[in-house]
Amino acid sequence: MSEWFSNALIRAQDLTGLVDQQWMDPVRTKAITQLKNTAWPNRKTEAWRYTPLRSVERTTASVKSTENDLSQLAPVVIPGIEPIEVVFIDGRYCAALSSGELPEGLSIVLGSKLEARDELLDKLSAIKPERHLFGMLNDALAQDVVWIKVGCGVSIDTPIRISNLSSQSAESHVKAFVSLEEGAQATILEMADAEGQTLSTGFTEYDLAKNARLEHYRFALQTGDNVSVGGSHFKLEEGAQLNSNIIGFGSDLQRLDTDIIYAGENANAKLNAIYLLDGKELFDLHATVEHAVPNCVTEENIRGIVADRARAVFNGRIHIHRDAQKTLAELNNRNLLLSDKAEINTKPELEIYADDVRCAHGATVAEIDKKALYYLQTRGISRAKAQVMLNFGFINELIDQMPNEVIAEWVRPMIRSRFEQMEVK
Amino acid sequence: MSNENVLLSIKDLHASVEEKNIIKGLNLEIKPGEVHAIMGPNGAGKSTLGYVLSGREGYEVDSGSVSLGGEDLFDMETEERARAGLFLAFQYPVEIPGVSNLEFLKASVDATREANGEEAITSADFLKQAKEACKKVNLPVSFLKRGVNEGFSGGEKKRNELMQMLLLKPKLCILDETDSGLDIDALQVVAEGVNSQRSDERSFIVVTHYQRLLDYIKPDYVHVLSDGKIVKSGDASLALELEAQGYSWLQTEPAEDELEG
Amino acid sequence: MTEQIDKALAREYEAGFVSEIESDTFEPGLNEDVIRRLSQIKGEPEWMLDWRLKAFRVWQEMEEPDWAHVDYPKIDFQAIAYYSAPKSMQDKPKSLDEVDPELLRTYEKLGIPLIEQQMLAGVAVDAVFDSVSVVTTFRDKLEEAGVIFCPISEALHKYPELVKQYLGSVVPTKDNYYAALNCAVFTDGSFVYIPKGTRCPMELSTYFRINEQNTGQFERTLIIADEGSYVSYLEGCTAPQRDENQLHAAVVELVAMDDAEIKYSTVQNWYPGDEEGKGGIYNFVTKRGICHTNAKISWTQVETGSAVTWKYPSCVLKGDNSVGEFYSVALTRGRQQADTGTKMIHLGKNTRSTIISKGISAGKSNNSYRGLVRMNPGAKGARNFTQCDSLLIGDQCGAHTFPYVESRNPSAIIEHEATTSKVSDEQMFLCQQRGLDPEKAVSMIVNGFCKEVFKELPMEFAVEAGKLLEISLEGSVG
Repeated sequence: MSEWFSNALIRAQDLTGLVDQQWMDPVRTKAITQLKNTAWPNRKTEAWRYTPLRSVERTTASVKSTENDLSQLAPVVIPGIEPIEVVFIDGRYCAALSSGELPEGLSIVLGSKLEARDELLDKLSAIKPERHLFGMLNDALAQDVVWIKVGCGVSIDTPIRISNLSSQSAESHVKAFVSLEEGAQATILEMADAEGQTLSTGFTEYDLAKNARLEHYRFALQTGDNVSVGGSHFKLEEGAQLNSNIIGFGSDLQRLDTDIIYAGENANAKLNAIYLLDGKELFDLHATVEHAVPNCVTEENIRGIVADRARAVFNGRIHIHRDAQKTLAELNNRNLLLSDKAEINTKPELEIYADDVRCAHGATVAEIDKKALYYLQTRGISRAKAQVMLNFGFINELIDQMPNEVIAEWVRPMIRSRFEQMEVK
Repeated sequence: MSNENVLLSIKDLHASVEEKNIIKGLNLEIKPGEVHAIMGPNGAGKSTLGYVLSGREGYEVDSGSVSLGGEDLFDMETEERARAGLFLAFQYPVEIPGVSNLEFLKASVDATREANGEEAITSADFLKQAKEACKKVNLPVSFLKRGVNEGFSGGEKKRNELMQMLLLKPKLCILDETDSGLDIDALQVVAEGVNSQRSDERSFIVVTHYQRLLDYIKPDYVHVLSDGKIVKSGDASLALELEAQGYSWLQTEPAEDELEG
Repeated sequence: MTEQIDKALAREYEAGFVSEIESDTFEPGLNEDVIRRLSQIKGEPEWMLDWRLKAFRVWQEMEEPDWAHVDYPKIDFQAIAYYSAPKSMQDKPKSLDEVDPELLRTYEKLGIPLIEQQMLAGVAVDAVFDSVSVVTTFRDKLEEAGVIFCPISEALHKYPELVKQYLGSVVPTKDNYYAALNCAVFTDGSFVYIPKGTRCPMELSTYFRINEQNTGQFERTLIIADEGSYVSYLEGCTAPQRDENQLHAAVVELVAMDDAEIKYSTVQNWYPGDEEGKGGIYNFVTKRGICHTNAKISWTQVETGSAVTWKYPSCVLKGDNSVGEFYSVALTRGRQQADTGTKMIHLGKNTRSTIISKGISAGKSNNSYRGLVRMNPGAKGARNFTQCDSLLIGDQCGAHTFPYVESRNPSAIIEHEATTSKVSDEQMFLCQQRGLDPEKAVSMIVNGFCKEVFKELPMEFAVEAGKLLEISLEGSVG
């Protein structure tokens, strides 16, 4: 049992009964009880097999009690987009930086300000699987919850951005719940930014009602000695559609869990994820798809490039339940290692209990395509430059698939400059 | 040693792939503006020659020398040879998804310009040139945005090769079985493109199995490559002779003896 | 349609008979005294007993594994008898004539005649019955070539240095719970040594039979192929039909020295239990080989039996340019559970491995592929190709794939692919429309699905494996 973990439990206990926190007690106490029966992970814990939690155990980050100096922190500007902002600073909702005026059919409310708190409490933590230790910690320690709700048949064209900003040495726990009612459409972008040694858990649950459509982006671009464990968890009702795009740069510890749970037929999801790691960074992505009902379609493309002494972990599980006939599910994971100190551990899993399904997964770890490298060289391009081009191309294929071109345009140069840094070494 | 009038000089070249000798004493001299056809049966080493000259990994030079414009070719990296004006049009151009054709073309043109002490071309100018080149080789401009050769048909890939040639303006073009997999219409488009690029400053090595291509690209010289050596050289009429007789006459006598024995 | 297919797959377990043989069997239970007695009966040297006791102490410290996706009641290790041998074997028969005819009949009934004249020429057999080796055939012929093929209990006396040097060198005592148990209580098994530069003149084969009730079988096999040698080794196993579960926890160690090649084939047909999952063998086996420079180890397995199979024949590719292969067909039906796969540990440069796994699940069974491919930092230019295909028959079974892929070398290339499919109505219709009955149709489709693996089996075994699947489909559609 780590000291940090036991302290966290004590701190969670201290939050129960506080005036502004009391309403969350049902969720919090349940989590505390579960956590007390949960062992702190070690190397033998399958979900943490390749990802040691030393940087959590040794963190110097702590929860900030004072008001933040807002001038220091602000969500990054994405040229061409003025998102509807939902901003958390050091784990607390920041009304000053969040959007006030909202389009019709969209509501964004802080849980504690809700009249119908019980409705939110019922929904909260029902999608996120219980097995996730840090998900439970987030339940136990989060102090604010934001509920983003898109009304029936409403289409919100402007992307909604949930920002998790951390100041120096801050510990934060961010929690959001998103519901898209029947036929609703929205684009949601989750981003985190942190300075210095920080520790953050950020969990967002998405409830997609019948025929709802969600375009989702989660960018974990904070590097350095930031420690971040979080998740995006989706429940899809009949005919719902999800297009999720994840980009991860590693840090001291960067762990992301995504779960897609089909609750209604004829829903579909596409998950594209990219990880680009350098230095001593670590990135760990666990993606689980639960096909609990028939006739749903999943497509997953996961690509990563790992340089220097960095380590990447990918676990992609597709679970086809007994009744989930006519499921189509495909997962493809491709990796490039750029250095002999870099490491990739990948585990695509299929667990299938229905016979009339088409499922496949593939995983490769390879070096750069030598034929392509030669081809570029015969056109006068230097080996080093050709390598950068090919690496970029490998990743760019997935960026090209992002449905929002403005976001894709914004991402591309960041990826490119990351490659250029990676190649310099 | 360098002869001003010789662009490419291959002297007693021996080369191997995976420790197997493929090129076994090849000699060839090409002057600026000349078109040389190299014909021969399958396995004679025709494609290997292009790979050895361009510097592909795994193609080892065992002995002999090659100079391009007086410079020792084997002193140069693959990309330096390209910048020095050697261009290989591939038989099967590789697909590079995710890298756009335009990005690729600009990078290669800029690399060659930089090597010649020129400044990088502006994006606007380059786009103009590239669009013109597209038109010349009859490729839709939209191909510039697609991944390099990604999902291109056989003919489109060959035309994409030709477009690169137009933009890079090389001194020596090696066309490796450019006719393979092309129907007659596509062949004509490619041949016209090549012919439009013929000039006093540009030489060609046209590697082909069939005479057909040479109906459209008239060579100054024809060489027959067999078992890693040039066994016969002549003018364009040699190609017609080969067409009529096939390559079987090239089989050396002892082989037949062995068969009988 | 599914029902038809399922019926077609249902079968009698032909090897399920019990031989009436009087045996000396230990009382159930396990402690140091049992191990001492066992060692004494075998007349083992002191060091061997010490080794066993050390392993026993290690095992006692270890925790019984709790595997995901495998479900069975806890094993009572004190309820198992750790030694059982036919009484007639007490005086160590000198030749086949002295062997109890009932024993010979048992093997004959299983299709393994031990009379050399009746045997397939070119296959030498070591027949292991419960805890002892009954007979090893063609030994003279093998001795001429310098090949040692004998029960491991005999090798301990005749070749103690070889055994001492290599026993536990590939699978260390602590490797896992069942390997440790095996180290403590193993009874018999085969020992093979192929001298330098020798191509073993015949196929070597060990046939394992569990007969006695409430016994466990803990065999140990050690194969050493010296530099530049070659051997093909086959292993078969059956047990009577009983309502109780029986434990089979074997350890197989292969050592392929420089330029040597070992081909190890298994047709595993332990009693799988009945339709409702009653009875059957728990088959918890550790098999591993080490490849030195330019060496090759090829594992081929056809797993059709056992109530629970837990088995990962693996290769440690230590030497440069060494090659590891794993070809597997696992068929589960009824309530069988199979968790099988391989580990390919690439240490040397340019090492190569190929994994082809075919899982067929029917009835209410669960069939998992679990594998590990690891490229260590030294595995420059190494390559792996893995193909895992699952075929589901019916909607009550499960097919799972759990591959661990770990790479630490940028020039190593790993490719892993997995697919699932079913015997489709269209396929069945086509076959039937062309005049095939459903049994033949399923058998053809299943055989086609497994073809890549069957072609790796030695001829004699390919026939047996084909027959195993055939038998299962024969005469059962009413």
